[in-house]
Amino acid sequence: MRGCFLSCFLTLLIFAFSTTVNADVYVDTEAVALLKKIDELYRSDNSVSTMKMQIVTPNWNRTLQLQSWTIGMDDTFIRILSPKKDRGVATLKKDREMWNYFPKINKVIKVPPSMMMGAWMGSDFTNDDLVREVSLVEDYHVEKREQGSQYQLILTPKPDTVTVWARIDVIVEKEGLLPVEQSYFNEKGEKVRSMYFSNVREFSGKKIPAKMSMVPLNKKGHKTVVEYVELEFNTHFSDDVFTLRNLQKRVK
Amino acid sequence: MLIIKLALRNILRNRRRSVLTVLSMGGGYFMLSFMLSMTEGSYSNIIDLFTQDHTGHVQVHKGNYLDRPSLFKSIEHSSELIDSIKKNPQVTGVTARIYGPSLAYGKNKTFPANVIGINPLLESETTFLKEKVKQGVYLSSAITANGYFPAMMGKTLAKNLHLDIGDELVLISQGVDGSIANDVFEVVAIVGTPESFERMNVYLSLDAMRQFLSMGDQVHELAISLKHQSLARQFSKQLQKTYTQSDLRVEPWQQVEEVFYKSMQADLKGNYVSMGIIIFIVSIGVLNTVLMGTLERTREFGVLKAIGTQPMAIFKLIMLESFFLSVISCLLGLVFALPVNYWLTVVGITMPEPIDMGGVLFESMLGEISWFTMGVPALVVVSSTLLVSLFPGFKAARISPLQALQAV
Repeated sequence: MRGCFLSCFLTLLIFAFSTTVNADVYVDTEAVALLKKIDELYRSDNSVSTMKMQIVTPNWNRTLQLQSWTIGMDDTFIRILSPKKDRGVATLKKDREMWNYFPKINKVIKVPPSMMMGAWMGSDFTNDDLVREVSLVEDYHVEKREQGSQYQLILTPKPDTVTVWARIDVIVEKEGLLPVEQSYFNEKGEKVRSMYFSNVREFSGKKIPAKMSMVPLNKKGHKTVVEYVELEFNTHFSDDVFTLRNLQKRVK
Repeated sequence: MLIIKLALRNILRNRRRSVLTVLSMGGGYFMLSFMLSMTEGSYSNIIDLFTQDHTGHVQVHKGNYLDRPSLFKSIEHSSELIDSIKKNPQVTGVTARIYGPSLAYGKNKTFPANVIGINPLLESETTFLKEKVKQGVYLSSAITANGYFPAMMGKTLAKNLHLDIGDELVLISQGVDGSIANDVFEVVAIVGTPESFERMNVYLSLDAMRQFLSMGDQVHELAISLKHQSLARQFSKQLQKTYTQSDLRVEPWQQVEEVFYKSMQADLKGNYVSMGIIIFIVSIGVLNTVLMGTLERTREFGVLKAIGTQPMAIFKLIMLESFFLSVISCLLGLVFALPVNYWLTVVGITMPEPIDMGGVLFESMLGEISWFTMGVPALVVVSSTLLVSLFPGFKAARISPLQALQAV
């Protein structure tokens, strides 16, 4: 009786193991293509945008106006236009490095890799979110499921990916193939935060959700809403934007 | 009445013995009151120095700020609160503070700094901060000639950052609105010593601090100084009663500086043990004199018993004699102790090496004259005399007239 149980268990184990191996090898090309589209949704080859960031917490509310430049997945430059107190504060991300600049004290402060998951200017977005260092396609396995009029993409990190998320779920509308919700799970399998996409608008001939709300589920009453006011893709601007010299340029 | 007369006559009859007894007991009183005065005075002095250094006698915070400080646990309408507290005649000073731990940049270095926003005028009325300015001028709310807000720095921080008076100090912190607070300040003064409490502090004016942290009218702490530190507990209880609506907590210095208070209490207990030993030695001396006095007069008591005196009367006689002697000793001791204690209270004993108590320099031992330091020794001397007289009293009362008259 006992031997029987053991052998049954073993077969089950081998079976389970073989299926996971299969899942590792099997790549859902359609899902990867969809994810790549989402990855580059706000990026293209290059982009220039103006956005509004509203940060809501139980203790204070604050709205920032930002201007941002991006090239591909690697370089990002963001400058705060308002409020007046923070005007000129800028962030530059180039390859794997990131700096913040504070005009009032005329100092450039390098953001160490350990601070990448820290909050950007007090918002619910991490430094990492903002500069999108992580490319979802490169760093995550993706699995696609169908749910009525939506696709659910389940992302699990590849073995050599350095990340704090154990799983990311992306819900995509079948029509238009635009994301609706993106949820982040920690290593215990708990949902930690969700990002909601809304207000689909057309920018430079590309339809994208203009509004993104980040809601951390472990911090009650906190929310950050980013809304694109202007967004232009594939325009021409000088490479000088992504330099430390430009970072330290004082805005009037 | 007769017994009182007899007791007085007995005391006066053998003057040499009485004087010796009085001297020994008076010396005991003098020593006790001297020691009490020294301990009480020194402790009171240390507490005064310590609380006036930066704590104040009573503090007000929002909620559990004291245990778990947070930028957002702030007191609203602070200026009205200060005005109402000032009306109390026991209060000598009230000041408001804002705390914001920051990162300080010097020429090439960074160090964490405890940045405190203060009201320069009110702070100087409440604590010793103004007296601790070692270089430069005390903080003001006005903007300096270079267009920056002025800042005062602790000695160690200034040394670590290689900053001097007139240099620019850069601070970075977290603003109340979630922004990254960053600004440049001009160092106008260096305060304290490398050992003192404020060695890693930066002081800004309340206005500068509010702009730096994007704060409104709120503050984190109110510090109140009173006429005397012993009023603290009573005062904080009273003040707490008036704050029933808002979540404000009033704490006396005993709670704010709990570690200091507890170590002080432990030290005081040690002192009481040594005082107990002195009392014991004095009592033995008294016992010796009283016992000798009765043994010497064995024949006398024999005669008294033989003519029909009650044992109780003899016992009362001896107790009364001891009581009179002890009261006279106390008066004599008082005559010597008062001027000495007065001198101690006013001048004190200057220490060859100042003792550092948590950053506060304790330079001289002071005395204290109060009902406690003068009355308790008298009580101790009288009661211990009566206690040790019980035994010779019983002995004399129970004496057999025959044996007593035969004794040499």
